[in-house]
Amino acid sequence: MISEHFPWLTALVIFPLLASLPIPLLPGNHKTIRAYTLGVGIAEFALILYTFGRFFSLHDSGLQLVESYSWVPQLGMNWSLGVDGLSMPLVVLSGLVTTLAILASWNIKLKPRLYFFLLLLMYSAQVGVFLCQDMLMFFLMWEVELVPVYLLISIWGGQKRLYAATKFILYTAIGSIFILVAALAMAFYGDAVSFNFTDLALKEYSLPFQFFAYLAFLIAFGVKLPIFPLHTWLPDAHSEAPAAVSMILAGVLLKMAGYGIIRMNIEMLPDAHVYVAPFLAILGVVNIIYASLTALAQNNLKRRMAYSSVAHMGFILIGFASFTTIGMSGALLQMLSHGLIAAVMFFLAGVTYERTHTLDMNELGGMARKMPTAFAFFTAAAMASLALPGMSGFVSEIAIFLGMATSDVYSTTFKVTIIILAAIGVILSPIYLLSMLRRIFYGNSGEVIKQVPTMLDIRPREALVAACLLVPVIGIGIYPKLATQTYDVKAVALSNQVQDTLMLVANNPTQPSFTAFTAPQLTAAATISNAGLIE
Amino acid sequence: MVILLSQAVATGNCWPDRYTQIVVVMAQLWIETCWLIPVYGLVGAIASLPWSMGWIRLTGPRPAVYINILMTLVALAHGGLIFQGIWNQGGQEIAFTWFEAADFKLNLAFELSVINLGAVELIAGLSLLAQVFALGYLEKDWSLARFFSMMGFFEAAMSGVIMSSSLLLTYSLLEMLTLSTYLLVGFWYAQPLVVTAARDAFLTKRIGDTLLLMGVVALSALAGSLNFNDLYEWVKTEDLSPLLATLLGLALIAGPIGKCAQFPLHLWLDEAMEGPNPASILRNSVVVTCGAYVLIRLQPIVVLSPVALATLAVVGSITALGASLVALAQIDLKRTLSYSTSAYLGLVFIAVGTEWPGVALMILLTHAITKALLFMSVGSIILTTNCQDVTELGGLGPKMPATTLAYSVGALGMVGLFPLGCFWGYRLGIDFLWVDHPELVAIFLIVNLLTALNLTRVFRLVFLGEAQPKTRRAPEVAWPLALPMVTLTVFTLLVPLVMQKLYLLPPWTYVNKSALVCLILSGVIGVGIGATIPLSKALIRSMSRPVRLLQDLLAYDFYTERLYRVTVVRLVRALAIASDWFDRYVVDGLVNSVGFASLLGGESLKYSISGQSQGYLFTIVVGVSLLGLLMTWTMW
Repeated sequence: MISEHFPWLTALVIFPLLASLPIPLLPGNHKTIRAYTLGVGIAEFALILYTFGRFFSLHDSGLQLVESYSWVPQLGMNWSLGVDGLSMPLVVLSGLVTTLAILASWNIKLKPRLYFFLLLLMYSAQVGVFLCQDMLMFFLMWEVELVPVYLLISIWGGQKRLYAATKFILYTAIGSIFILVAALAMAFYGDAVSFNFTDLALKEYSLPFQFFAYLAFLIAFGVKLPIFPLHTWLPDAHSEAPAAVSMILAGVLLKMAGYGIIRMNIEMLPDAHVYVAPFLAILGVVNIIYASLTALAQNNLKRRMAYSSVAHMGFILIGFASFTTIGMSGALLQMLSHGLIAAVMFFLAGVTYERTHTLDMNELGGMARKMPTAFAFFTAAAMASLALPGMSGFVSEIAIFLGMATSDVYSTTFKVTIIILAAIGVILSPIYLLSMLRRIFYGNSGEVIKQVPTMLDIRPREALVAACLLVPVIGIGIYPKLATQTYDVKAVALSNQVQDTLMLVANNPTQPSFTAFTAPQLTAAATISNAGLIE
Repeated sequence: MVILLSQAVATGNCWPDRYTQIVVVMAQLWIETCWLIPVYGLVGAIASLPWSMGWIRLTGPRPAVYINILMTLVALAHGGLIFQGIWNQGGQEIAFTWFEAADFKLNLAFELSVINLGAVELIAGLSLLAQVFALGYLEKDWSLARFFSMMGFFEAAMSGVIMSSSLLLTYSLLEMLTLSTYLLVGFWYAQPLVVTAARDAFLTKRIGDTLLLMGVVALSALAGSLNFNDLYEWVKTEDLSPLLATLLGLALIAGPIGKCAQFPLHLWLDEAMEGPNPASILRNSVVVTCGAYVLIRLQPIVVLSPVALATLAVVGSITALGASLVALAQIDLKRTLSYSTSAYLGLVFIAVGTEWPGVALMILLTHAITKALLFMSVGSIILTTNCQDVTELGGLGPKMPATTLAYSVGALGMVGLFPLGCFWGYRLGIDFLWVDHPELVAIFLIVNLLTALNLTRVFRLVFLGEAQPKTRRAPEVAWPLALPMVTLTVFTLLVPLVMQKLYLLPPWTYVNKSALVCLILSGVIGVGIGATIPLSKALIRSMSRPVRLLQDLLAYDFYTERLYRVTVVRLVRALAIASDWFDRYVVDGLVNSVGFASLLGGESLKYSISGQSQGYLFTIVVGVSLLGLLMTWTMW
């Protein structure tokens, strides 16, 4: 049968790319092009759903649908793809968000051919990043992703677009050099040279080497996630990018970093992760509080949302550091949930911008009377973002809290401090989000309304995009299993692996030079996990 | 279930036997579908979306109203059937698994008991009345359907909170209540005061809720389960360190403190009076009851910490006294009543803090009904006169007899007057506290006195005296307002009978005579002062400086809001500005200066390319000699 041997994953990766090639030759104006692109997007999304629905087993924690072809044999580079519980939901997320982003860029009239070509190129690259199983290919896909974003911001962006785009490309390109360095080092470490993820994960690295590689990856992914203090490209890029690009940036691209941290740092360098985890938790808390406070001081709508993204990404780091299944599961869910929520927030900001041509909240105000439906959607998105129960953000954040609280690795003081500080973020997020709603929608009419007297409410197309993003948010919030079942076994496997490493590290505290590095609570962990082992 | 039913029908051969069997099976069916009760409200809310979003305009918003009222009726009927079943069969629990990660499970559970179902019926009943009332009150509002959607959601969340027996579910639904308060207060979003009121209501409650969430997380880590019954078991065996127990207890009571508008998280209720009145009816009666009910459910866990219990009593006392006093100086009709809500909930807190949950429940029940009635009468006045400033009202008594009657009955029920509602709550509380906590008894009596004083004052201002410009043409309200109001008036009068029917009244054999005398006396004194104090318009803002200062102090709620503004709000704002400055000029400034430095370097190096060969030669010579110097450094 064709279905058994057909290279489904390869098809997923290259279909948007191939389909984007005829765009320059298409007849007609922007209307044909956008319709064509939307068709491609939907077809790809359908293909993703079909592939995973038909061939992906939810009960297998290992790689599935593995494909490997020799690509550049001189370099030992293979075209190898595979999917597991970690990448599957993220591929679905990027399919959904990118397809909706195409629908959201309906009114692009400037150079539509290039614009939609770049969107499809990004589509391919995103799917490629999540599916590839080869280090060089990962690097390649990662870089391929950057260029379209650069162009999209610098051509279709806002007023400071060149500054933002340059900053974006410099930050992320410099960051990705670290991926290459670490990847090469890991590939050439030891006897066998290999770029394959599985081979790399099986290699035994010395601890100093692990620290080196871990740090390199952490910098690269820390730029993208972003982690304080590597985050300043993000508010600029997000606020200057066109709405559809912001959707993809916040919805998918930030998740690539979270994915990378799990794939490289946690899976391949578990020993180093055990030592660095407490610092990840601390960085997470810093992200949450710092970005929440900064968000409150922003007057630009999209900048405020961008800082809120930074804050929400902090929770992921805490989840990674928790060493528990539920914490890990919460972090994975937070990636998905934030992907949807951030996408809908930026989309709605775009909807507002299209009508008002300003993002300055001082000039907006009293818009609820003009755009009641948009107001309803905005409120729903803000509620989702501030982790209201019944929305996906709540599930992931409480899972992360519980994961941290039940973690037997850290001392109680450390856990309580982390949780309470993270909870401050939970109090700060409604402060900046509700003040955002208040300044845009409530009260007397602002400057803008006086200038644009005939402001239309949200159109059906726009309502469709917002609804497609919000429905899964509410669905997951009410019944989290919808999302968690896709990665459940993987989360268990991951946390087991981390726990095993933790036990090994705790039992043989090698490299005394690094004991300074280990937080004191790890010794407590040793006794606890030993006790657990004996029982 | 259907099979069971048909079996019952098939096997039963004689009629009475078969009949009882069917009744039992049907009761089981109602009980098993108890989760539908919150769902009804939600269905109503969702079903009225097409009207509230303006997709259907042809029919006007009325169908949405009818759907929601119907759904509330269904919930009321279903609740009644379950109540009957539970009354005969005893309590039940129903659980679902919600979140699973490996062996970690979070369950959502509903518990059905007589008390729960009683509260659910109370909510459904008051919600029904409030909705009919809203039909009249908001008749001309263009977004009537939106209001009813929110009411359906509100009702769903409330009945869920009451029935939930899992702390996680309770927390989630409390947040839903927070959301619906936000939406309902923000209903008239273009009004200037609403702008901040809705936000403040959300934020204040959110602070309490987040602390509660911390408690939930801690309990989950410590006890391993979040079901109330498991937690109660856990409490019996657990030996926490005092510090941890105190922190846990304080975190747990923070949620109800916010929800019940207790000091220091009480300001939102005052601001929330900007919302439409039908929502205020519910908010001041059953919503705060939900918060207090959660507190009563948590009380067996809070007992772990004596500090937390003491805090409850202290917070309750402060709020009860403070809010009763503040109510005296309010001139906004709704605010005179809303502060007394805080005060009564303060009494509930005292009761819970002294471990008398029965007293708390009694006060909650009686207060909810009478307060709802008072708010209905107030709503009628506001709709008729378009005015809620008591100084501009007057002489409404003969013009609006039904409203006047409703207010009088509500006011009488509110104070400890035998045999109406709140008398029983007061009596029970005073009886139980008489020996151990005489100081708390005093607080009960003072609250009674001040409430009586306040209600009498408002009565005189609004219903007696001469008609004012705004009250000269004040006809009695139309039937959608009058019907629920009169119904509730009658019901308030019947409350003692109902309580007797449900065996809620304490037996007369244990009457503490001196307590009774004190209670009645305090009420009488209150009414007496209220009836005699001068209330002329000239005294609205007294010319005598000390009196005016006192008036202002009370009218502005002891300046708590200003205090918060200069402390907490300013602190957060300063921190935000500081972190923004840091982000812009330090973190980003560093990056930009690197960029600037490289640009500068490039620009300045540009000038070294002069095109003159002697310049290049010179550079080479200098470079080479420096290099030579460096290489031969050791030889020097």
